[in-house]
Amino acid sequence: MKKYEAVIILNPNLSSKVTTFTKDFEKLLNSNSFNIVKYEDVGRRQLAYSINNHNKGHYLLFNIEGDPIQLIEIENKIKYDESIIRHLFIAVKEHSGEDSQLLIDSKNIKIEDEEINSKKVKEEQEVAESNSNAESEEVDSQEEVEEIAESEEAKPEDDEDKHE
Amino acid sequence: MSKYNLPKKFDYKNVNVLKQFITETGKIIPARVTGVSAHNQRKLTRYIKIARFLALIPYTDMHN
Repeated sequence: MKKYEAVIILNPNLSSKVTTFTKDFEKLLNSNSFNIVKYEDVGRRQLAYSINNHNKGHYLLFNIEGDPIQLIEIENKIKYDESIIRHLFIAVKEHSGEDSQLLIDSKNIKIEDEEINSKKVKEEQEVAESNSNAESEEVDSQEEVEEIAESEEAKPEDDEDKHE
Repeated sequence: MSKYNLPKKFDYKNVNVLKQFITETGKIIPARVTGVSAHNQRKLTRYIKIARFLALIPYTDMHN
């Protein structure tokens, strides 16, 4: 028994089918007498460079243990799976057992996004409120314009009086 | 004293740590510049290369 870390980058267009893929992958591992110690779904992530014209990838991390000979068979099957754009198996001495930094980073990014979104919503609300205030001001200014127009109408009459 | 906050255990998934040791063009910075010990530099290079393969770090800034 050896311990491995598996990283699999899935086609981002199939990220809605992650659960079915992970189930299939689990079956494949179990059929080759591999155990999954830990599973992490990091989610969609920007790739540093495009792979097969994909700019994003769905990262999955597995901590697994099993026999090295069986691993070759697993890799042979994964090679021809078109939903996987890249995969890597690394032998490790010990599984860390903690959440990986990738997962923590993706969670932090999600939280930040939510904060930004909530801020945006707030700003939009404020903008909407200020717009409604501006509209009421416009109404006031229109009334003023009408008053001015009335006074201008009154002026020429005065002039006529003077001529007479 | 090192000016970098090096973790006890290096990891290819810790992208923020590895990014300190590559240039803007993506090259690995030599240990004589960063002052990292030879032992740590060997580990760093190994994990930077793994992270590059997994598209966590660019190989170069010339990627299309």
